[in-house]
Amino acid sequence: MSPPKPPHAKPCILITEEAAGNVYRVQDEVSLLRASLEGETEAWGEVISRYKDAVFGLCLGFLRNRADAEDITHDAFIRAYVNLRRYNLEKRFSTWLFTIAANLCRNRLRYRRNHPVATLPAQIRGGADPATIIARDDRHAEVREALTRLPYGYRAPLVLRFYNDLPYREIAEILAIPEGTVKTRIHRGKSMLKRRMEEERDPS
Amino acid sequence: MMRSARAWKAGLTALLLVGLGTCAFAQIAVSEFEQALRAIPVSEIDRYVAAVELVLNQPDFPAVEVFQLIERLAMTPYSAQEKEALLFDMVVAMEDGLPVDGLVTKGLEGLARGVPVPQIKQSLHQRLILLAETRDLLYAKGIFSVAPGSPQSVPTALPTPRFNLLVTHISDTIADYLEGGGSPFEGQTLYQEVRFRLTSLEGVTLNAEDVDLVLKRIEPADMTRVALSAVT
Amino acid sequence: MRQNEIDEILRDTLRQEVAETTAGLVGLEERIVIELGERRPRLRVSGWLRQLLAPTRGGRIGQLSVVSATAAICLLLGFFVANQVGLDGGSPGIRLTPSRTTNGGQEVLFVLPALDATDVSVVGNFNSWEPTALSDDDNDGIWMASIPLPPGRYEYAFVIDGRWWGQDPLADEYVQSYGEYSSVRYVGGGDGA
Repeated sequence: MSPPKPPHAKPCILITEEAAGNVYRVQDEVSLLRASLEGETEAWGEVISRYKDAVFGLCLGFLRNRADAEDITHDAFIRAYVNLRRYNLEKRFSTWLFTIAANLCRNRLRYRRNHPVATLPAQIRGGADPATIIARDDRHAEVREALTRLPYGYRAPLVLRFYNDLPYREIAEILAIPEGTVKTRIHRGKSMLKRRMEEERDPS
Repeated sequence: MMRSARAWKAGLTALLLVGLGTCAFAQIAVSEFEQALRAIPVSEIDRYVAAVELVLNQPDFPAVEVFQLIERLAMTPYSAQEKEALLFDMVVAMEDGLPVDGLVTKGLEGLARGVPVPQIKQSLHQRLILLAETRDLLYAKGIFSVAPGSPQSVPTALPTPRFNLLVTHISDTIADYLEGGGSPFEGQTLYQEVRFRLTSLEGVTLNAEDVDLVLKRIEPADMTRVALSAVT
Repeated sequence: MRQNEIDEILRDTLRQEVAETTAGLVGLEERIVIELGERRPRLRVSGWLRQLLAPTRGGRIGQLSVVSATAAICLLLGFFVANQVGLDGGSPGIRLTPSRTTNGGQEVLFVLPALDATDVSVVGNFNSWEPTALSDDDNDGIWMASIPLPPGRYEYAFVIDGRWWGQDPLADEYVQSYGEYSSVRYVGGGDGA
């Protein structure tokens, strides 16, 4: 049984003549944010629906701990709402939201340095054909393990690139590093992953 | 036991008075500072008094806290040399025109926590270096300070109190980071920390355009350089 | 391994990882909307809080019961605080309706559940690290003080029966100072942002 959906956002107050679907969606998002700014917490609920998987994926990738990722996802949406009036409506909302999440993750990682907990297990439960599962499972388990052991500085850009599918420029903004550094880190991060996975398979 | 309403009200009133005192400009006379310094006692009293005189009338000089620091330091069971060593960094900052807010509040916190005075001194010394390096960094990036009221020579010349706040918060962030065990080589992390601190204070005690200006001009490599200067 | 092979594997792995752990997000919108509707200052009700309050320092019995009581009480804290200060739950303001001091600051509420304590105070850079007492007039174990503060960044800690405790659940941030934790709060200026 699925939980009741939050009531829909108020209709778009910005009327546009353009037919492109994505323009409507952007305008719709701006209306949602405006409504949220005016205290319409249900409009904010709709924003959360749209972004929670993206934010959670970011947090899970950064923190490698499910409970922490859930906490930070929750905190990020609260923090973003509280700070909404500081957000420049002309800039890309997702970047701003992801930056908040990334900063909160960084704080949590700092805290975790002194209070460590177990990180994600590499095990996966799976679906169909046993042979494919095993092959795929092993590979996924390797990647997860290797990812967890990657230093944060390399892992973060990888997550933003390969989970959130963000362009280099946006990754640079979220992590506050130059775009060139983003590319280098991603390149090196992938090499390190490859090497770690090969080591796991053949520790010679 | 502090449960009675009267005790609570007394505490609140006292706090309000302290608060008001903190907000007021220097209402502590130089002679009172001199007396407090003699109670340590410091060896070069003239130098210390001159330093206080130099800064006492600046609007952002935390006179009350500095005075409290000297008084409380005098009451600790350490040698005069150790106490003076702690004050020395603050005096150098004053002589050099560096903001002492971060130093004095860390000093007061250390005393309140019962941290050994030589250890507090080490912390303050590192913060002093970071203050100086941060100021140099901003200058190198074309961000200057001018006396409030004077015409801005360049658009990036900020009135001294605003400039001082930037120096205080940037250096404070780096100091906290290093004391927490952070590596100076993580320039990107340091930049993030500084960005977090500055943006958190936008519209609170920092002007948004000042924060913007700084964050546009400083880079992770700069943060590493500044941090390294304090640990090497 | 081919170059784009690792790209695909990364994408796959990350997506699958999220898909497997996404159960905790169900109902997140509703929870947050409710929380914002009854907004208290920065109340975090989460497993992190419970972990955070797990005693890591010493074994003093007083401290332990403070800590375990805190974990249980924090959930109810919001309702209590609302009753005490008359929050308007329906307003868009998600912080205390500020009583403005003349220089644009706010009355900041310091609250700490400390069931077995006899003496609770707060020290910070706003009172030169000299204790300001909290009070628990109705003896329900919840200690409070309301302190007017001008806009700024405030570092502080609680002192519970002489012992410093630096992790205020209502803090904006934690920092480490002289090897111990302190809490940080930002008090807004101007429009209270």
